[in-house]
Amino acid sequence: MGSTGFHKVVFIIGICFLVHAAVSAAQRKLTEQEFTSLSLDIVVQGILSLIACMYAIIYMAGDLKEIRATEELENKSWETLRNIPSYYIFSHRGRTLSPAYDPTSVGKSLIDE
Amino acid sequence: MTKVANKSGKSGDMTAYSEVALRNNAAIVEYCRTAMAALSGCTAGVLGLSGLYGFGFYVLAVIGLWILLLMRAGSKWNRYFLNRKSLLTNNFIGGLCTYVLFWTFFYTMVHVY
Repeated sequence: MGSTGFHKVVFIIGICFLVHAAVSAAQRKLTEQEFTSLSLDIVVQGILSLIACMYAIIYMAGDLKEIRATEELENKSWETLRNIPSYYIFSHRGRTLSPAYDPTSVGKSLIDE
Repeated sequence: MTKVANKSGKSGDMTAYSEVALRNNAAIVEYCRTAMAALSGCTAGVLGLSGLYGFGFYVLAVIGLWILLLMRAGSKWNRYFLNRKSLLTNNFIGGLCTYVLFWTFFYTMVHVY
């Protein structure tokens, strides 16, 4: 589904054909005495090259993304959403209020000094 | 981080859409639309369309782009766009300005001088 070299080639060929159609039209205009309308082959060439370019550009523009948020989130829980690693606390000072707290077990050197 | 925009679906239940994906898809469609307006303007100028035929050609090009976009999205267009109608009508006038610019430029280059 992504942009490939094939689409770039199609785009370049389409632009070349469009320029060729333009040059043909301009030359036809210059050379013919009674210019009434363009010949059918130039018209067909122009329209076909336009279609080729548009087809290529749609694929060259980029990948479309799935818009439903659940598509990304369906493998996650709500706990994952509010999980912020920067706010993790590994040694909260409130631990000293716990009856099971043993000051000698952690940070003994800090208390001694 | 994904932002979530809530919009109620037709059935009344809430569906969450990813705003990043919505913006990404809108930007891609905008790119395609501008490129399509420029290219179809070139083609219209080369073909020597004038007056209402040129504007009719623009309408045809917009519809063609719509069909190509839906072809690319496939049968699951629901997964990439909110609705199909806004895909057709968005930025119609803005594209028309680009179209007229290229149309007049190429018409002058090919058919006047």
